[in-house]
Amino acid sequence: MTVTVTETAVPHAGRLEWQLAEVCEIVVETYRVKSLLLRVRNWHGHQPGQHVDIRLTAEDGYQAQRSYSIASPPEDELLTLTVEQVENGEVSQYLVGDVRVGDRFELRGPVGGYFIWTTAMGGPLALIAGGSGIVPLMAMLRHRDRVNGRPSASLLYSSRSLEHVIYREELDAMARRDSDLRVVNTLTRKQPKGWMGHRRRIDKAMLVEACFPPVQNPKIFVCGPTPFVEDVSRLLVELGYNPLTIKTERFGPSGG
Amino acid sequence: MTDNGSDLVLDGNAAAGLLQEIFASDITTAQIECEACSSVGAVGSLRLYAAPMGAVLRCKQCDGILLRAVHTPHGRWLEMTGARHLRF
Amino acid sequence: MDKTPISRGFRSTRQEQTPKNRVPPGQYVTTGFPVLSAGPTPRIEPEGWTLALQFDGSLLGKWSWAELEALPQTTIKTDIHCVTKWSKLDTTWHGVTIDDLLKAVGLTEPAAPYIMAHCEGAYTTNIPVADLVGGKGMIATRYEGLPIPPEHGGPARLLVPHLYFWKSGKWVRRLRFMKNDERGFWESMGYHNYGDPWKEQRYDGDGD
Repeated sequence: MTVTVTETAVPHAGRLEWQLAEVCEIVVETYRVKSLLLRVRNWHGHQPGQHVDIRLTAEDGYQAQRSYSIASPPEDELLTLTVEQVENGEVSQYLVGDVRVGDRFELRGPVGGYFIWTTAMGGPLALIAGGSGIVPLMAMLRHRDRVNGRPSASLLYSSRSLEHVIYREELDAMARRDSDLRVVNTLTRKQPKGWMGHRRRIDKAMLVEACFPPVQNPKIFVCGPTPFVEDVSRLLVELGYNPLTIKTERFGPSGG
Repeated sequence: MTDNGSDLVLDGNAAAGLLQEIFASDITTAQIECEACSSVGAVGSLRLYAAPMGAVLRCKQCDGILLRAVHTPHGRWLEMTGARHLRF
Repeated sequence: MDKTPISRGFRSTRQEQTPKNRVPPGQYVTTGFPVLSAGPTPRIEPEGWTLALQFDGSLLGKWSWAELEALPQTTIKTDIHCVTKWSKLDTTWHGVTIDDLLKAVGLTEPAAPYIMAHCEGAYTTNIPVADLVGGKGMIATRYEGLPIPPEHGGPARLLVPHLYFWKSGKWVRRLRFMKNDERGFWESMGYHNYGDPWKEQRYDGDGD
């Protein structure tokens, strides 16, 4: 096997070091989801879609490590992680339930140059999120929102109910002021009275409605639990999208 | 880790941290060719298994093992006999 | 080891009140049953399933599902310990002990000192035969009285509970006697060759 290195794909992608992140602010997003705004001393920037590894150490030496997508755009001063508390998740339980402003934990990153999008990469941009899969896609949308002459974008966002929709007001506001951004929600388990939107899991018809057609060759990012990502990817390929234009990030078993 | 089998597989991008420890650079955007079936794709798009013990990256076409990586307290291990080449 | 910063208030939720002598060092008891696999979960129908016993290129024995079920069956209750630090106490398994498997092919003594277990997905793990006989190992087909679910190794997995659980190869298909020890899938990637949880032999180079 031969290895040929001609260039590095992502800047600052040298040896990763663990460093301390300090919690500066906590934002309650939904009843199970919080955003932690962190100050990380030796942070050199990141690209929308990347994640960080965090490591917690208990007093008895027990350690747990998890990865979390960065929710903030590179234009922000503080680094935002949005964490969903999952059942029996010892790390998410700590980050959502126990962490206070001023707390510090170890963090390493940014990591992962494959699942990224910047406006320089062009569009149109088609984002498809399932549950907490919205997080890395939100970093992409927030970045896009900061840049003039931005490519057109669409977001198809599947959630269990309205209470589960993360960043709801921010997404509504973004869509209202940006005619080149289309946001389509589907609530799969419970809908509020008078809900005029979709009520079912993502299917081909919904993808046709919400995404740019294959002929426009959108850059597609799908993120969420593994079964969701696999279903949606399969549907996209069946609809005629080039698999090479579809990038996926399976959240797997939510880490916990 | 999960109690449910169907969630087990992740994308190669989730192994970016471990791989960057070993390669001292991000290889998730590198193109990797499967020795068994010759298909080519980005490392970040491969199927990732066994994440709590290490990284086992398998070919999307034939499920062959392309790369294995483990971080131990005594050193890092990398095995790539299932890959014909890696192109950055 | 570097002094790593303590995360205020963080503790493992796996910790439970258990007698210390049941939990090997560095392990935490879990009530769940985490799944960890090196490859996709195979869907194997018992009808098409076979288990082979080999030595030096020749077949010592081969069993279909029905034939395995017809061998003497054993049920054990035991604790299991994963190298990723979770332990599960009082798990019940049912299947055929390696002793009974060897007896079935007329082997009063093992053909060689080591065995390599070959499993689906090119997974392998090596174990000294001494750690498989004397009731220490079995081909398990039931967990808690029910067929082992595919993600936990069904229809049949190797069970060697006194070693770290990566040695209990899921979806086992072939046991190959070896004159000399060879390292299996994880053992050749930095994990300990033997894997005794009580000596915390997680990685190559850990205490002997």
